[in-house]
Amino acid sequence: MQEGFIKEGFTQESLLDETHLKEQKQMESDLNSDTSHQSSVDYLMNWFRKRSIFVLAYGTGCGAIEMPPTFTSRYDAERLGIRGAATPRQADVIIVSGYCSYKTLRRIIRTYEQMSNPKYVLALGSCTINGGMYWDSYNTIKKLEEYLPVDMYVNGCMPRPESILEGFIALQKEIAEGKASSWQKYEENYEFYRKNQEAVLGSKVAPAYDADWYLYDGGL
Amino acid sequence: MIIFDLLGMLLTAYFVGFLYYGLYRNITARFQRRIGPTVLQSFFDSIKFFSKDESTSHGWMFYLGPVIMTTGAVMTLFFIPFFYESESFRGLSQYGNLFVVLYLIMLGPLGNAMGVGVSGSPFAAMGITRGLTRMFAMELPFYIAVIALMSINHSADIATIAANQTTINAFAYPLLFIGALFSFIAMMGNSPFDVVGAPVEVYSGPAAEFSGKFLGLLMSQSSIMSFAKLVLMVNLFLGGAGGFIELLVKTFILFLFVIAFGSIYGRFKTPQSVDFLVKVPTAIAVAGLLLATLGGQ
Amino acid sequence: MRMFTIVISILTLYGVLDLSVAPASWHMDLAKIGLENIAIGVHATALSNFFALLVAMSFMIISITTYHYKLSKGFYFLLYLLTASLMLIVYSADYLLFFIGWEVMSITTYLLLSYTLTYKALVKYIIFAMASAMSLLAAIVILYSGAHSFLYADAHHAYTALSSTLQTVFVVLMLFALFVKLGMIGLHYWLVDSYSQSHDFFTPFLSAVISKMAVYALIVLLVQVIDIAALPNTWIVYTLALTGLMSSIIANFKALNEDSIKRVLAYSSIAQLGYIVTVLSFADGMSGALYHSLIHTLVKLLLFINVAGIIYMTSKSKFSELGGLIYRMPQSFVMLLIGIIVLAGMPPLAGFASKYLIYNTLLEHGNLLILSAMMFSSASAFLYIYKLIYGIYLGHPTSKKLESIQEVPLMFLIPQYLLSAILVIIGTFPGLLTGYFNTILVELGIKQLPQEGISVLATQNGSYNGFIVIAAFMVVFMLVLLILLSLRSKVKEAKDRFDIAYCGEVPNEGTHLHYGYSMGKELKRVGFIATILKNSSSHFYEYLSKQLFAFATFFRKIYSGNLSVNFNIAMIFLLVLLLWGLK
Repeated sequence: MQEGFIKEGFTQESLLDETHLKEQKQMESDLNSDTSHQSSVDYLMNWFRKRSIFVLAYGTGCGAIEMPPTFTSRYDAERLGIRGAATPRQADVIIVSGYCSYKTLRRIIRTYEQMSNPKYVLALGSCTINGGMYWDSYNTIKKLEEYLPVDMYVNGCMPRPESILEGFIALQKEIAEGKASSWQKYEENYEFYRKNQEAVLGSKVAPAYDADWYLYDGGL
Repeated sequence: MIIFDLLGMLLTAYFVGFLYYGLYRNITARFQRRIGPTVLQSFFDSIKFFSKDESTSHGWMFYLGPVIMTTGAVMTLFFIPFFYESESFRGLSQYGNLFVVLYLIMLGPLGNAMGVGVSGSPFAAMGITRGLTRMFAMELPFYIAVIALMSINHSADIATIAANQTTINAFAYPLLFIGALFSFIAMMGNSPFDVVGAPVEVYSGPAAEFSGKFLGLLMSQSSIMSFAKLVLMVNLFLGGAGGFIELLVKTFILFLFVIAFGSIYGRFKTPQSVDFLVKVPTAIAVAGLLLATLGGQ
Repeated sequence: MRMFTIVISILTLYGVLDLSVAPASWHMDLAKIGLENIAIGVHATALSNFFALLVAMSFMIISITTYHYKLSKGFYFLLYLLTASLMLIVYSADYLLFFIGWEVMSITTYLLLSYTLTYKALVKYIIFAMASAMSLLAAIVILYSGAHSFLYADAHHAYTALSSTLQTVFVVLMLFALFVKLGMIGLHYWLVDSYSQSHDFFTPFLSAVISKMAVYALIVLLVQVIDIAALPNTWIVYTLALTGLMSSIIANFKALNEDSIKRVLAYSSIAQLGYIVTVLSFADGMSGALYHSLIHTLVKLLLFINVAGIIYMTSKSKFSELGGLIYRMPQSFVMLLIGIIVLAGMPPLAGFASKYLIYNTLLEHGNLLILSAMMFSSASAFLYIYKLIYGIYLGHPTSKKLESIQEVPLMFLIPQYLLSAILVIIGTFPGLLTGYFNTILVELGIKQLPQEGISVLATQNGSYNGFIVIAAFMVVFMLVLLILLSLRSKVKEAKDRFDIAYCGEVPNEGTHLHYGYSMGKELKRVGFIATILKNSSSHFYEYLSKQLFAFATFFRKIYSGNLSVNFNIAMIFLLVLLLWGLK
């Protein structure tokens, strides 16, 4: 991020009115707080998980064009411990990079369910927030939150590599504090997500492989 | 006590192997004009995988696949002596010889192939086929070079071959060394012979269905096996090692060469790599063998 | 009938063991019945006992396996006759009885094969078997002319008494006869069809035992008749070494192209016999050859009986129709796994011991290029070895029936358990057999192997300790498994066979997921492998038969079937005879 962009005497705060200012201050304090409510084992585990992030090599939408520059020499995401993974079995993070047509949504859900916990979803672009450029399309979904639990949004259309890196850093902070638990949200609210998926995909919805396992509590 | 000996060898291989893989990512990054991750990154990756909450399995044979691969890697390590004239870090090498080690190198991948096959992923089976194909092609120049060394030293014992080198074999028999070096690059799984586990092209080949702790175990065995192969090459061609520092320096030089070679070249297809390995390095190794055995007599 | 066969086989085994402990012999000079200069006899040397033990053990195992097949009494009779002829071959003390046994073996095998082989395959078998037998007879008769005796005891004397041209002719004829029976490349045209189309339980007998008779004959030829230790660098050594080498390399690659399981195992037999032939070109290689004969017999019995069980349960014998049987037939899977580990020559089990002896012999004699080529062919065997286990047990089932198959019946499993137990024990204690083989080597007049304890296999150049290898394997395996089990993450079983990472798609019944039979076919893009797979000895033999037909057509012009022409030819022939007789 370039410093000195905002001229002297022209702060961001003066652009915001009262309610938005309170929201902004709350968000900033949330981002800076360190609620250490975790046990030491969890703290250690989360420290390792934040230092090593495997991103699934899957570009789901037009936002994917900004992923290769992020991972290659110019912006080098590997300094943060982030590297690509080929299969969902090996990946921690799936990047939903832009709009999701119904066709892609089925594959994203199937892929997401094949990843192993703990897994995180990073949603790029405004299409995942409210439909973005395709807000009136017959073929895309408008709010990704109704179908998959999202850990971190990076807004923009499309977000530049610097923004994606900032998103990763924010995700790492959430992981370290133990707050990035979208996979648990998925397990607990599975009926809600499944209902939304079926409403949109109909009979072509992905098989419910992982649902039964959420009730399974043993194993090798 | 032999248990402490073996434990020391194992821990050395584990830590140094992981360190080398971290350095590998760092050095490759510098070749590509970027910074790259920290040197300890491989440790972080492996611990993250071991701390995953769940792993997917396809039955008991899938469970045993990585276990057999790790067992093969550890056993290969145990049968290679680290130092040529020392009682410590000799492992089980006095109970075996170079033939045993050459076959133990192939034990792990074959055991893993069982686990991979039972997962049912066709991409994984394709990866295994590529791996086996590459294996018989890359072993040919290596066998020729190794057999020449065994014949020159009249012994199949690794410690004897390492100790007999007044001038190190890489300079005394350069053609044999070059032939074996091509095979060694393929054995370490580096470009241009790395089509086996090509990440996106064949869905990472044999590692396609492994997740969580299985993948962590595969990464650990990979580092142990790489270190074992490096020590083997050092013993055979670079004069063995008298102490730890010498061992680390020599293995690192060899590893650096392999990394540098790999980051320059692209990837051969499987038939192309078989074609190349059976022609050029084999010819070089055969020339070296004829020179070494006929000239020496 | 089945129980009777099992009892007979146990009695045979008992008889062979008895002869090993208390050898006996019998001689008769046929001058008493008017045939001068012909003496026959049977004796029980250490070498004979070893091969007879192989025959008796295989017979017993086969008789247990025939339990679930419905066979006619004629079949059992032929089986007994075949075993008797094999015993005659190994126990005979002279070439006459040896040849009688050889002929009876060829003809009974032909009759046994005629139950299931197609006409073309059967004709191929009998032509090659007769060619082998006739050339064997010619060689024996040439040898007889040397010292007017058929006995093995006089054979060396007879050989040295021949002129050098006759010696070469004798060796060429004998090697031709034995190479046909061993299935060396070029002369193997009959072997693959015979193995793949015979009865499923008879193929192990063919592959494990009948090929060993040729090995026995080769050992007798090289050690007792020619005394190859005294002729280190002659053409015989190079012929044997190169033939064995070419067979093992070419057969290992030809096995990749096949879809039928038994054809793959047939090519594998050719390759393994190639190792034995190569190492027999040196006198010191006898120990490796004997060890490898034993291991190969055991492992081929194990593999073929396993495949027989599979075919019995599923009635499918191709890789493209099988797959995914591991969790339905776990015991068969473990047996095949042990079989292929031994076939590949991996250290924990017995296959490595015989390979180690072979490699040591070649290293000692300085044949480094042949040694590298042998190790290369052993490494290239891994492809079809993996195809064998993947195509049958791993991967996905290719039909609905395979998803509800039961385990093979007990009578198929008992021989497999027995064989794999023997292989594991030999792998753990490879020195157990050193003493036994040393008695054979002493009798043949060859340097013995050093004995350093039952778990160490020692040669002059080095040794390895089989018990340490397998103990280390077990300990490390247990420790790693314990560590893996005690790790934090829970293990989630995949729901069914379609729960694989398939690029986000959901495969279903119609998706082709079993990468079984095409494994290895992509190697056709490599130069030298394409040459091997494209060319085949069938081209040569079909060319030969076409030439024979052309020759016959030429003769048709003379013997045209026209009575007057035949009469004219007969008259001319008589005239020539008269003139020659009058001279």
